Amino acid sequence: MTDIAARADAPTAAAEVAVRDLTVCFPTDTGELAAVSHANLTLAAGRITGLVGESGSGKSTLALSLLGAVPSPGRITGGEVSIAGVGDVTKLTKAKLRQLRGGQVGYVFQASQNSLNPLKTVGRQLLDLGRAHDVENLPELVKRARELCELMGMDGARVLDSYQHQLSGGMRQRVGIVFALVLNAKVLVLDEPTTALDMLSQAAVLRIIARVHRDIGLTTLIVTHDMGVVSELADRLAVMYGGRIVEDGPAEEVLGSPSHPYTKALINATARVTGEIGRARALPGRPPDLTSIPAEGCVFRERCAFAMDVCASVEPELARWRDERRRACHAEVETVTTEGVAAS
Amino acid sequence: MRTWRVLTRKPGRIVGLAILVVFTLLALFGPFLYSGPLAVDPDDVYAGPSAQHLLGTDFAGSDVLQEIITGARYVLETAALSALFTAVIGTGVGLLAGYHRGPTDSALMRLTDFVLTIPGLPLLIVLSTIWSFGRPLEMALALGVTGWGGVARAVRSQTLSLRERGFLEAARGLGLSSRHVIVKELLPNLAPFVAMNMLLAVIAFIAAEVALFFLGVVPFSSSNWGVMLNQAVFSGGAMDSTSALSYLLSPLVCILLITVGIVLFLDAVDELFNPRLRERS
Amino acid sequence: MIEARGIKRTFHAHGAFTGAHVVQALRGVDFTLPDGGAVSFIGESGCGKTTLGRILAGLETFDEGELLVDGADVGSLGKRGRDEVFRSIQIVHQDPYSVLNPTRTIAATLGDPLKMIARRRGEKDKGAQQARARELLELVGLQPDGVLQKFPHQLSGGQRQRVVIARALTVDPKVLIADEAVSMIDVSMRLGILSLLRDLRERLGISLVFITHDVATARYLGEGGELHVIYRGEVIERGPVETLIQSPVHPYTQCLLSAVPVLKGLEEPGPDRLLPKDMLDANVETPGCLFEPRCPFATDKCRAEHPVLGAETIAGVEVQHACFHPEVRNVAAVDLETV
Repeated sequence: MTDIAARADAPTAAAEVAVRDLTVCFPTDTGELAAVSHANLTLAAGRITGLVGESGSGKSTLALSLLGAVPSPGRITGGEVSIAGVGDVTKLTKAKLRQLRGGQVGYVFQASQNSLNPLKTVGRQLLDLGRAHDVENLPELVKRARELCELMGMDGARVLDSYQHQLSGGMRQRVGIVFALVLNAKVLVLDEPTTALDMLSQAAVLRIIARVHRDIGLTTLIVTHDMGVVSELADRLAVMYGGRIVEDGPAEEVLGSPSHPYTKALINATARVTGEIGRARALPGRPPDLTSIPAEGCVFRERCAFAMDVCASVEPELARWRDERRRACHAEVETVTTEGVAAS
Repeated sequence: MRTWRVLTRKPGRIVGLAILVVFTLLALFGPFLYSGPLAVDPDDVYAGPSAQHLLGTDFAGSDVLQEIITGARYVLETAALSALFTAVIGTGVGLLAGYHRGPTDSALMRLTDFVLTIPGLPLLIVLSTIWSFGRPLEMALALGVTGWGGVARAVRSQTLSLRERGFLEAARGLGLSSRHVIVKELLPNLAPFVAMNMLLAVIAFIAAEVALFFLGVVPFSSSNWGVMLNQAVFSGGAMDSTSALSYLLSPLVCILLITVGIVLFLDAVDELFNPRLRERS
Repeated sequence: MIEARGIKRTFHAHGAFTGAHVVQALRGVDFTLPDGGAVSFIGESGCGKTTLGRILAGLETFDEGELLVDGADVGSLGKRGRDEVFRSIQIVHQDPYSVLNPTRTIAATLGDPLKMIARRRGEKDKGAQQARARELLELVGLQPDGVLQKFPHQLSGGQRQRVVIARALTVDPKVLIADEAVSMIDVSMRLGILSLLRDLRERLGISLVFITHDVATARYLGEGGELHVIYRGEVIERGPVETLIQSPVHPYTQCLLSAVPVLKGLEEPGPDRLLPKDMLDANVETPGCLFEPRCPFATDKCRAEHPVLGAETIAGVEVQHACFHPEVRNVAAVDLETV
């Protein structure tokens, strides 16, 4: 198996992605509302970061910002997205953005298993992709695609000759990843990579993501609502709620001793194969959508078990409280971390 | 309130609605504006537009505007009724066929096929030799009974695909009757489709009957737009001289305006019926 | 109470590109669902669990076997009888949005079955129907005033699923079939639905058939739950939920449990956790064990003979499995608190 990372045209070092003070707004009947508000997040070079959030948290919008692909009428109204070796994505021209997508940042869409053209073989779609990116050496592209397929445990030649209905859900997902990486992207973003996949296919796809990440030397972002999906893979974990990042840090520490009430509640609300059944508790209420995000104060306060008066008027800032851990909460760390959930 | 908001979201829709309202009023009240038969003025044949005759005069010196207004009723009433007939018959047939499937479906579809193969216009021409279509209802019946095939087909296919939707299966699972499912569950989901079809059918029927009258194959007893066109071209020499231009163009422009009006308004129909689209900000 | 014996279902499909092929969705499934009980079926996609759910709800026929509901053999009933029996078995699907009519308010959606029942009983009191609708909404944990006049698209996924359950309850069912009922719901709300199902069991004595691909969710349905593992239309292991999770003996069950992600920081991987073989397209019909092509412990015997579901005591645990080389392996994640 060819070591793809050693190829002459492959990137030599992974790139860091820094999101600073990013705000993305959508116009509504009641004015412009922020789907992502002043988000600060660093994707460490060569690491896997997990971005966890439920529907309406803004995680997909944030991920799309990395590509400059926020769906209109939404737009980035503030902040920057800096990718090492590329610059600020928010300031790129249309032409450069097209180059960026696929060329430097590979994006695997949600349910990408359904985004293949049913009337063309995978190989033809690959060629379409190459031509759209002005790739001169198309046979070389096909070869790289084949190698990526092998890396993911698929028969490259067979896959390229297949139509999408001839491949299983898990295989189509892998094809999505191949497409995202075939142009030598150094940053890989996966949006809900395992939706609609059962446990075994999910485990297989996650293992493959880990292998590809390691072998090629990528910076990877996995966006998901399911903590389980990122718990084994991610080096770092960031949690989003109502368009804000409420907590982030090393994955093991965030899961083992969550410092934000939402993270803690989310962990408690997750069905697990082990642990006391009685401990699990659903969260009251529902996650906010664009129009119901509170304008003042902490966005989580209405469902928060630790809410105080100040939470209604002052929005907590995302601040470092220990080494590499940050949280956005008014309550004291000790108050939140003691009580329930495994300590470690 | 919501209806108004849907209508005003795009200016075209209000324009479309306005056009349709104007023509509807014309059709309803037009004839009352002029009592008695058309005034004839042999000295003023094919006069151009003037203060006295806003759209000029025709071959007999009659006011074109008056003819347009009084002629609107027949055309519009026929088209509206035809569209209604085809919608009702076609939806009924299509719904039942699509919902019950099996032998009912086969039988109804064979019937539909038969109706579809009937050559509408030629049949009407033949019918016109024995039937004088004096009243709009008569022509509407003829057009409607021969024209519902397409709607039936389309509604059936919509019903078949809606049938697969979970909520129908759920309704049956709860023990709700077929009647309930068809009327309360299916029909509201078919409504936007049927409404749009109906509006488009109106355009088609206007064209059909104007064509029939234009061709002169259907005898006429009073003036309407198709008759005007027929007169203008065949007996008025409108194709040879420009003086009859306003007489020729007036009915054509009216038809065009109605078509545009319907198309613009059509845009609002889907949103009006579909609560989900209505809420989108 | 439901008793299923030897349920078989074969589909004759004809793909546009693949030609005619036969799919044995169910190869003889047996189980008993006691009143107020809970039976969960777990397996990969395509294993037949959804087909089983649909058969139990009366939405699908079966080719062989017997289905007895409260002692009555469904196969011998006429259409009327079958309709009545299956009305007491209601199904809740994965996608709550698709089973709610988008053009009707929640009040109308709940009102229809209530009206129908009132008519059948000869009751005319409209007020009683409305009161019952409110009662059911509260039972499922919703605020009636906040929900009745809304359309489905105005509610969250969790709320919609609760409305679907409320609607199912309007006909006083004895059995609820939940087919991936929480898969499309946000994580923070899933447990709410699972607790609701458990409550319905405990308070109203409704039995549950819970179909899922996520083993963990099967733990939250209350006491006395049974877990059946299906592979390609066959039940290959079954037993009490906790026993199966902690002491699985069939390699397939062990692969499934090994695939469950471990929440590092909270849990550590089970000591015997298996790394599954790469997935082959194992759709061939073999005379031997169906799982053999993918089984890490397969032997020649497995290729030749077909194992049958039977009871056995292994390492002190009473289990029911269909395997020639069963062995207890602790593959499930271990809670760090107990370490």
